[in-house]
Amino acid sequence: MPKIIFRLLFSFVVFVGVFILIQRSLKPDSFGEYGHYRGNSLNDNKMRTPYFKGEAKCAECHEDVYDMKSMDLHDGVRCESCHYPKIDANTDCEVGPPIVKGTIKFCAQCHGINAARLDKGVPQLVLKEHYENQNCIECHNPHAPWDLKE
Amino acid sequence: MGPKRIENKRRKFFQTSAALIGGTLLYSLIKPFEALAQPKEEEDPKIDKADLPLWGMGVDIEKCIGCGKCAEACKIENNVPIEPFYFRTWVEQYTVKKNGEVKIESPNGGIGGLKQSVPDEDIFKSFLVPKLCNHCTKAPCVQACPVGATYISPDGVVLVDETYCIGCSYCIQACPYGARFMNPVTKVADKCTFCYHRITKGLQPACVEACPTDARIFGDLRDKETDLVTFLQENPTEVLKPHLNTHCRVFYNGLSSEVR
Repeated sequence: MPKIIFRLLFSFVVFVGVFILIQRSLKPDSFGEYGHYRGNSLNDNKMRTPYFKGEAKCAECHEDVYDMKSMDLHDGVRCESCHYPKIDANTDCEVGPPIVKGTIKFCAQCHGINAARLDKGVPQLVLKEHYENQNCIECHNPHAPWDLKE
Repeated sequence: MGPKRIENKRRKFFQTSAALIGGTLLYSLIKPFEALAQPKEEEDPKIDKADLPLWGMGVDIEKCIGCGKCAEACKIENNVPIEPFYFRTWVEQYTVKKNGEVKIESPNGGIGGLKQSVPDEDIFKSFLVPKLCNHCTKAPCVQACPVGATYISPDGVVLVDETYCIGCSYCIQACPYGARFMNPVTKVADKCTFCYHRITKGLQPACVEACPTDARIFGDLRDKETDLVTFLQENPTEVLKPHLNTHCRVFYNGLSSEVR
């Protein structure tokens, strides 16, 4: 074999070998396990802590409120629709209780008038005309909306 | 000497080319059988997909009241930056005016409740459309990713590998639904994951949990007993942009043709 051909072949083999080595060392371990992605990434996505705990969890301690809500019109509205869990999932509710002020603005998110939600079974009110700028919870019990306070 | 030398060279040339072409042909003939030689190594790590759930979501436009609780819950659950440009899910208000004009608005993604900006007398019809990643079976974003940082999980959820993403934002351009964004904190692509950390623990996604009117139905498409399958059976559902053949797993009931 002429020297020049040998050199060419040799450098080609070295080049391919080095390429394969580099590619192997850079490729993450689990890459390609299930497809063209890092298999461990599925676990990374699973590992995060959930913030919303679900109604059953709330009912463990607040059974009275939960029962009151289940009997009335806000039955379908889950606890965490209004009481967002603005606390870390690992700490107790007592550390940072989720408080809702029950202002007109807050209730208007669902009950403010909007042409798109007229026939959907949710009462629509022009809230400022409804009761002169008073906070809704001053008359209505949010857990049982028709339990009017005097 | 002269003519013979040329002939020799020519013969060698023909021999080598014949060998090369023959070799290539032979290799291309053998190649299909290569899979037979080592099938076991390939199959073992693969998950049997039929045993896994296939997650999907139903969105009932007829029930959505545009309170924006879903968008807010999503931001809290997934640490999405609070600025009004970053949404994994959001609600759009469509207003068809009497003169045929369509107005689409979504101030702050619907967080804080949507308000109708068109006077009542001009409205022909008005409806609310919650949007999120459609979790396509043939996802354009997955095809666009140059490094394999976004993928379809074995249970049918389009996910992002945050540690592997290089932040080139090709996927954001490729998504026909505008469901992706560049996260300003992590500097990588971010999108709805169906709350993968929740659904794999048996919980519902945060938006479904927060919806007061049950306008979102989440479930396993393979399990024929779920609410989602009942929803699909009882309602005429449609996916967004069906002409793109993305085969989405988010199904809308009451979808008007104005929705883009």
